[in-house]
Amino acid sequence: MANRAFGVIISAGGNFHVEGLHDYRPIGAFSFLGRYRVIDFPISNMSNSGIDQIQVYVSSRPRSIAEHIGTGRHYNINSKRGKLQLLFTQISNPKSIYNNIINSFLENYEIIERMHLPYVVIAPSYMIYKQDYQQLLDTHVESGADVTLLYHRVNNARDAYVGCSVLNLNKQKGVLSITPNMGTANEKNIFMDTYVMSKELFLDLIKQAKTRSSVFTLSDIVSQKAEELDVRGVSHKGTFASITSLNDYYHANLDLLDLDKADDLFRSNWPIYTRTTNACPTKYYDTADVKKSMIANGGQIEGTVENSIIGRDVRIHKGAVIRNSIILAYAEIGEGVRIENTIVDKWAKVQHVKEIIGNPAHPDYVRRSDTV
Amino acid sequence: MGSNMLAMILAGGRGSRLHELTNRVAKPAVAYGGKYKIVDFPLSNCANSGIDVVGVLTQYESVLLNSYVAAGSRWGLDTKDSGVFVLTPREKADSGLDVYRGTADAISQNIDFIDTYDPEYLLVLSGDHIYKMNYAKMLEFHQEHNADATIAVIGVPMREASRFGIMNTDGNGRIIEFEEKPKKPKSNLASMGIYIFNWKLMRKMLLKDMKDPNSSHDFGKDFIPVMLNEGRTLCAWEFKGYWKDVGTIDSLWEANMDLLDDKNALNLSDPTWRIYTEDAAVLPQYIGPEAKIRRAYITQGVEVEGTVQNSVLFTNSRVGAGAKVIDSVLMPGAVVEEGATVTRAMVADGVRIGRGQSVGKKNSENILLVAENIKGKEE
Repeated sequence: MANRAFGVIISAGGNFHVEGLHDYRPIGAFSFLGRYRVIDFPISNMSNSGIDQIQVYVSSRPRSIAEHIGTGRHYNINSKRGKLQLLFTQISNPKSIYNNIINSFLENYEIIERMHLPYVVIAPSYMIYKQDYQQLLDTHVESGADVTLLYHRVNNARDAYVGCSVLNLNKQKGVLSITPNMGTANEKNIFMDTYVMSKELFLDLIKQAKTRSSVFTLSDIVSQKAEELDVRGVSHKGTFASITSLNDYYHANLDLLDLDKADDLFRSNWPIYTRTTNACPTKYYDTADVKKSMIANGGQIEGTVENSIIGRDVRIHKGAVIRNSIILAYAEIGEGVRIENTIVDKWAKVQHVKEIIGNPAHPDYVRRSDTV
Repeated sequence: MGSNMLAMILAGGRGSRLHELTNRVAKPAVAYGGKYKIVDFPLSNCANSGIDVVGVLTQYESVLLNSYVAAGSRWGLDTKDSGVFVLTPREKADSGLDVYRGTADAISQNIDFIDTYDPEYLLVLSGDHIYKMNYAKMLEFHQEHNADATIAVIGVPMREASRFGIMNTDGNGRIIEFEEKPKKPKSNLASMGIYIFNWKLMRKMLLKDMKDPNSSHDFGKDFIPVMLNEGRTLCAWEFKGYWKDVGTIDSLWEANMDLLDDKNALNLSDPTWRIYTEDAAVLPQYIGPEAKIRRAYITQGVEVEGTVQNSVLFTNSRVGAGAKVIDSVLMPGAVVEEGATVTRAMVADGVRIGRGQSVGKKNSENILLVAENIKGKEE
């Protein structure tokens, strides 16, 4: 069923940096739960909500995202009626203060103008949650608000959600302002960087942001206009994670080893689509000992795996012990190696070092393609 | 780039020796190896060999097989000028609705389909074999030998040779004699039911065979012997590798168990010869805190809370807490509830083994097929 909104997926601004992983790809392309990439969640949410005109903004290192989303066919988007566009910015320096989302919108202003649908749903490529945008759009239209923002009430904002924003609401869920999460209290309304508004207002805000400041982001301009516009917050319930620090990434993954939480995010009536790599099933050998873990296909497991996430085509040799860790695709863990509280990036080989033990509060990280 | 060879997969009859597994689906659509269907093998082989057009011949009308293979994109067979087509017996203007009277007749009845592509060569395959083969290499051999037909053969143990169609060849690979299930085999080269024909000649011979009242219109019994009698050049191309005909429950179970063997020659993880299949939008495999897994082949969407030993678990199958699955195959969506035990069995698609129940026996002669739900014991 067609939606009256088009979708815009934005990438993380300069306020976010995820140690290690982020050096190689944008957050949207981070592997999640062994088989997904973070951007699969917003695109699947849109596809499942009947949004089939989707613009994906990439500010840097587009290769992995471009390769992964391709034509969008695997997201169940109608190949004739629907469209998944990848939009790049010319300012390729990701560190530049001018490389922000407003500039990306300005560079593609005409493309946005040409969209023939009256509403826009804007969602981040760096957060994980399930949301029916059709429902959110209905709420938005019924309420008569100018802008509707999605937020999640959390109780751990001191340690997590670094760099995220907070919605300051009045009692009627009206948004007073959007401010950075300074970690001053645990209870906060974390802004999910998700907006619904009319296309006209969206275009207007882009232009206004530019006149006010060259470094303004979309949330800056919405916050500034909160007094004159009717900006409202809608509370999101269910699993929510912001993949905006190594810690948050790590916990977002491991938290879903609790199947009740995973079941909330993965429903058969709300599939999360991804690109298949045609990997064969995983082989567990005589010596394998696997407990409380998510294992992707293509693996060969001879060692011990506990409370961990194992990506596609990973090889774990005899006597290796992996605990509370995330091993990304194509990595190899050698005989007798012990790995705890660690994220091992794609194609890495751990052979020579016999022990990598991170701190659960601050996991260790092994770089992509490294042999250690 | 187009290939001058078109492939026809004989997906055959109902596969009645697979019992309930083929009640609702034709044999080529039967699940195998965790995430595949049998027909994925010839189709992926075609795609990987650079063959663009594949016809799937099936007697048994099967909506599931039809919709499954029609999505040619699964094997990359969806570029311009390529495709996968299900060809069931059709009513034609000049004749009534015929069933396929034999393997050769199935091709004869689709001459019009083949003609639209005007291929130089026709590759005839069987839809119920599990193997990886580069048909381009077989074609090269066929061309080098200026053959009229080439038959793929595989060396089988001499003591088993009398169960197969055996090719006797001269020193240069030319077939001089074909014997169907010989009592005293002269060679151990068994026909794999994979043929390459020069289409022009084949077309002529098929038209003749159609009208022959004494022919049973079968490749092995009629068509190949006629070619030999006419003195045509038939060559045997020897295939080395894994090949399994999965005609029975026991052989289907065995073919699955082969995947657990470290020395298994099928090697489904070879990145240069992937077997493509339908992708399911499911979670990775979830292995619970109390699970025990020894020697298993498990695919995405599976949940294991109990014990799994020497078994193959297909998409979305479940093993409950305290349940045991030993020397068994759980087909897609099969569920073994809490405390239940499955031994030396195949549990069919979506079948539920109720709480505390036990099916199958250790050391049983045959593999048990469980095709109906078994109600759980009361607590």
